[in-house]
Amino acid sequence: MKLSLSHRPAAGPVIASAATPALASAPSPHPQGEGPPLKVLLASLFHPELVRGGAQQIAYELFQGLQAEPGIEPTFLAAVDTSFAALYKTGARITGFDGRPGEFLFLARDYDYIWHKTASALLIESYVEFLLTVQPDVVHFHHFLLFGVDIISVTRRVLPQARIIFTFHEFMAICSADGQMVRRNDGSLCSHASPVRCHQCFPERGPDSFFLREAWMKQHLSAADELTVPSPFMIDTFVRWGLDRTRLHHISNGQRNRGEGVVRSSAETGVRFGFFGQMLDNKGVHVILQAVELLRAEGFEDFAVELNGGNMKYASEKRRAEIEAFLAEEAERPLAERRVVYNGPYEVDQIGRRMGRVDWVIVPSIWPEAFGLVISEARMFGRPVIGSRVGAIADRVRHEVDGLLVEPDDPRALADAIRRAATEPELYRRLAAASPPAETRDGMVHQFCQLYRSGPRTI
Amino acid sequence: VADSESIFSEFAGAAEPPIAPAEPLRLRRVSRVANAVDIILLSPSGGIFVAGWIDDAFDPVVALGLKGEGWSVDLAGDVLARVRRGDLPPLSKHGHAAGYGCFAYAGHALDISGPVTVEVHLASGAGLSAEVQPRPLDDETLREAVLGWLATGDYGGPTSPMLAEVLDRYIGSQLLALNNSIVSGLVRDAYVERFGRAGAALRGSLIVCLYGKAEYLFLQAALYAGRPGMQDYEFVYVVNSPEISDRVLGEARLAALTYGLAITVVILAGNAGFAAANNVAATHARTDRVMFVNPDVFPKAQDWASRHTALLAERPQAETRLFGSTLFYEDGSLMHAGMYIDADRGAVSDGRTARSWRLLRVEHYGKGAPPGDVELNRPRPVTAVTGAFVSADRDWFERLGGFSVDYIFGHYEDADLCLRSLDAGTAVWMQPIPLYHLEGKGSTRLPAHEGGSLFNRWLFTSRWGDRPDLLGREPRHPALA
Repeated sequence: MKLSLSHRPAAGPVIASAATPALASAPSPHPQGEGPPLKVLLASLFHPELVRGGAQQIAYELFQGLQAEPGIEPTFLAAVDTSFAALYKTGARITGFDGRPGEFLFLARDYDYIWHKTASALLIESYVEFLLTVQPDVVHFHHFLLFGVDIISVTRRVLPQARIIFTFHEFMAICSADGQMVRRNDGSLCSHASPVRCHQCFPERGPDSFFLREAWMKQHLSAADELTVPSPFMIDTFVRWGLDRTRLHHISNGQRNRGEGVVRSSAETGVRFGFFGQMLDNKGVHVILQAVELLRAEGFEDFAVELNGGNMKYASEKRRAEIEAFLAEEAERPLAERRVVYNGPYEVDQIGRRMGRVDWVIVPSIWPEAFGLVISEARMFGRPVIGSRVGAIADRVRHEVDGLLVEPDDPRALADAIRRAATEPELYRRLAAASPPAETRDGMVHQFCQLYRSGPRTI
Repeated sequence: VADSESIFSEFAGAAEPPIAPAEPLRLRRVSRVANAVDIILLSPSGGIFVAGWIDDAFDPVVALGLKGEGWSVDLAGDVLARVRRGDLPPLSKHGHAAGYGCFAYAGHALDISGPVTVEVHLASGAGLSAEVQPRPLDDETLREAVLGWLATGDYGGPTSPMLAEVLDRYIGSQLLALNNSIVSGLVRDAYVERFGRAGAALRGSLIVCLYGKAEYLFLQAALYAGRPGMQDYEFVYVVNSPEISDRVLGEARLAALTYGLAITVVILAGNAGFAAANNVAATHARTDRVMFVNPDVFPKAQDWASRHTALLAERPQAETRLFGSTLFYEDGSLMHAGMYIDADRGAVSDGRTARSWRLLRVEHYGKGAPPGDVELNRPRPVTAVTGAFVSADRDWFERLGGFSVDYIFGHYEDADLCLRSLDAGTAVWMQPIPLYHLEGKGSTRLPAHEGGSLFNRWLFTSRWGDRPDLLGREPRHPALA
């Protein structure tokens, strides 16, 4: 196919100052129920069937929700890397996925993890051809990783009339440290990025490199019409970084409720604690294990912890060794003395069985989680949360109302919370009863559909 | 006190290369002085470098002869670069510069296949002889080796003036000849490819010389594209590092696709230096306005391009024929608001005589100053502007002969261009069209680059050192008053 691109208006976007009108006041290019279907292309980092992770899980939940939505025709484009070499077909750069209609793989290559762009012109030309073939009215990015952040500008140039939505699932646009906003020089939470502060995390790169990175990111993000975040606190973080508040919208991550029909426990106390999620450093599994050690040292052993999750291979060597050593030592103990069990990774559909084995869910993250899907999953099953007072966890869990909050990376505080949760009369029943319903997939789909239909690009 | 005089002679015409058809070397008697020839490097076009050491504190070297297959070179002892050697055992005199090196350029092909006979003649009439197998190198590698050797030598005093003395005596003219030969070869057959917006109406050409790092192409493309007025401008990237050519061509293709920019890529066969690369790129520009922009220069003002266009339309030609712009660091402070020329002075000694020296340098007005200083941001004629951003009327640039290609790699050719423009009747101006300059981050600096900078400072002093009207923050030249 010969590529033929429309040319953008001469006056390009202004970094961090492009304003869009209020959603409700803009005319809709595709009113619901009229005319041809609204074509929505969802671009996701990984396919959740290939790699577990919150961003891709939500992107796929949205895709499934949109499939059921009248007047919407969704397409799912998931980026994969060469760790899935068997999925790469000779000469192909975008392919189908496992025979599923509307689902495609973007076969990333030559990716520059510093600047977040591909160096492959062929890959981008294939993407352009894909856009021209699919002709989406809306392109909704759920990440730029493996696509390259400049793909937003490519999309804008190829489809000048399309609405482009970008959803932040963490802070990778701001933070080179995997978007976690945890400082690499001292492990503290990062309040804000700056060229010198980022240089302190990466001494081998000068402040000018981070100055350019910020300008580079903002330039491409300016090509999106709307930016969304799953938690309100993220809006403040991005506004402090320089993005225009009027372009930022909060839309909670929603999931299909997998706990429907589950009868909530009415027990007074609960002594079984569970961790659900990826076994990565910033998820804080090590904090739980350190808390268990403290409780043991104090002679308190009337509790049990179950760890559920995978991807430990992506944890740092230090943390992985720490966790593996703990689990090996635990396995040496007599059965009755074991307090921690590792159940391994799980599929989404197994969540009910795993939740059924615990009373409380611990979310000990040491980074500002963008949403904390596990909180939603706990709520589907009426499990109160003991979480870190950071990021979305602090936003979503109401201390002493529907959960307990402790300082992040503080094993002493977590040990005290576990002990209290396991022993204080009525606490479990009270918090579990107040646990709100989880955010629903239907709600998320409805809000995104409003955003998709809220008006043409006006920059 | 040599307040206003240079110790340096004009290099032009100095010391014809003493390479001649081979003559038999004859030593009157053989000396037992400790010595060694470390290396002889030869290039096919006639580059000859020799380095070694000799304990000649009490019987100095008066001549050094090299004889190869069908050629010979006779070098006077005082044209050798003498350096201290920390790797030698204590010799006969503490601090004696026992090391030596010299470079000569024949300018024509030499047979470099066989061994070279080295003869060292001492003041007493004694001599030394050795047969050495030379190492063949291409001209570029030889140039880097010589520059690196010169730059890292311990001259027993400040490097810049002592090396300048060395260059002034003989080696400078030889390096200049080698460099000119290299440059003319490298720019002869450039590869040129154009991307995007064929036939677009354009008003200006941003010419960017890339060394080592390809990423600045996509960063500049992203951060210039879409700005008001940028549709009138094209990029011409000239690549001095052929090893990154594939990446640069790929990025140009992507940038044209992503941003709709008109981009021309010019690939040179090797590092021809800032001046020659930009001169060649200018010949491929499709407009009458050429802007030489470092890869680490980015727009600060959103409307940078339209302001540049408006300036050309609204201001008198004398103010826009050749001008630079205010440049800022990423931390917001001022990086550049024009340059002036100053001179360093001092004295050096070889243990026998003390000699005065004087070398020019360029300085930036207000480097690191708060960004809003009114005086520094005022449009005005200045002595010189940095080559990080120069906007030039193409016709004027060509009439000046472009950047001087005599400067090696980069440094000082920007000030040299401005001074030639001044002498031709048009002073360079500063115009406040703010840009960021992430100074020094756009290229990978190799050890030989330091040697190139030292060479360039010597050359610049040779050319402009006798012009007191150009010196100082407030030069006396009437066009700069």
